[in-house]
Amino acid sequence: MKLDIHSEMILDEYRAQLPIFERLKDIVKKQLQRCLDENNILVSGLEARIKNENSLERKLAIKGYKYRTLDDITDILGARIITFYSDEVDLISALVERIIEIDWNNSVDKRKMLETDRFGYMSLHYVCRLPKSVYNDPTTPELNQIRFELQMRSTLQHVWANMYHDMGYKSDVEIPMEYQRNMSRLAGILELADEQFSLIRREINDYRRNVQSLVASGNFNEVPLNGDTFRSYLELKPYHRLAEKIAAINQAELYEDSLMPYYNVLYLLGMKTIGDIENMRNEYSEGAYQLALLQLAGTGLDIVACSVALQNLCIVSVLKQGFGKAGLLKLFNLVYGESSYNAQRAKRVFEQAQKINLIQ
Amino acid sequence: MVELNGRIDTTNADQFQQEVKPLMEGNQSDIDIDCAGMTYTSSQGLRTFLLLQKSVNARGGKMVLRNMNPMVKEVFDITGFSNIITIL
Repeated sequence: MKLDIHSEMILDEYRAQLPIFERLKDIVKKQLQRCLDENNILVSGLEARIKNENSLERKLAIKGYKYRTLDDITDILGARIITFYSDEVDLISALVERIIEIDWNNSVDKRKMLETDRFGYMSLHYVCRLPKSVYNDPTTPELNQIRFELQMRSTLQHVWANMYHDMGYKSDVEIPMEYQRNMSRLAGILELADEQFSLIRREINDYRRNVQSLVASGNFNEVPLNGDTFRSYLELKPYHRLAEKIAAINQAELYEDSLMPYYNVLYLLGMKTIGDIENMRNEYSEGAYQLALLQLAGTGLDIVACSVALQNLCIVSVLKQGFGKAGLLKLFNLVYGESSYNAQRAKRVFEQAQKINLIQ
Repeated sequence: MVELNGRIDTTNADQFQQEVKPLMEGNQSDIDIDCAGMTYTSSQGLRTFLLLQKSVNARGGKMVLRNMNPMVKEVFDITGFSNIITIL
């Protein structure tokens, strides 16, 4: 590609400064990642690239006259944060503004540039500098002087932009109106989808908060049993007292293990609400303790897992509902997976339950 | 596969822990233990299995106990350890 002398000089400057751009790229990426991590924000992508020489050449060939020096080209280094949801772009931009100096005169919110009846490219573009307060190397002051571009957009905005870029931007042939219109229609659909994803996320979060507050307030019968509600319920440590009582049989150490694997067991036992499992705890705790007493007393075993409380509650529940040995076998198959041990264990536990009159 | 034989009780629990130490400190990802010859385990044995499982899990592996006799399995069941340790 034939460039004029002025553009050739800018290109030479670019080649000379490439190592500094590479270094700045790594620093910027690291600082952005740290900012996201510190604020516990997960993003779909964080990327940074240096404009390659061919791309810069093309840019200079078209509008090299606009730039006095390489400093005037602000997208030699470009970073991009791709969020999961469109409503996260504003949050992340606010956080980024705290660590990066923004050149407001040259930054643009392309989300606000489209007319109400237009659909297309939506992204927030900041032209930035890395302030010394964030990174300072006195041997390389250029790191704080070079401007770079930071784009922030949602995953769906990113998909559309990538497709549009691939289909038209790089091509020498202008895209016919008909195809432009189809791309705009797709942009409209994706904008709606973006909004829906954000809305669904908000509704799920509202639902979780409601459930947590219902569980915390003790309105258990109104709370359907599912993975989230069971997790919230377990935060109240409902089985801890029974587990401690069981541990006290042998003055045993109580080992805190996860009770979440029991969610499926309780569900398959027919529990529909947190109220159902709370009723099981209230009604069968004594039976569960008596079973543990029979099994553990005199063994000298001085460590028990917390889950033994819920395990025994499930056993007593199965027996009290009249499901007998077959019910126990089904329960053990659910808890431990199918195994030859389970039938023997069902038989043994059934006999133990008879001894302590758990079975009428 | 590692084979365990005999009793693990208060008299030899420390020795058992010493013997499995290389497995805890090694880099073998999965550990398969054949318990066919194990006739009893005390609480100390349970603790050692727990430590071994933790170290195996920490390096992304899985510990499995196999062929346990019913009397030993009972110890794991009544203490709730069958909920923690994979027994096949």
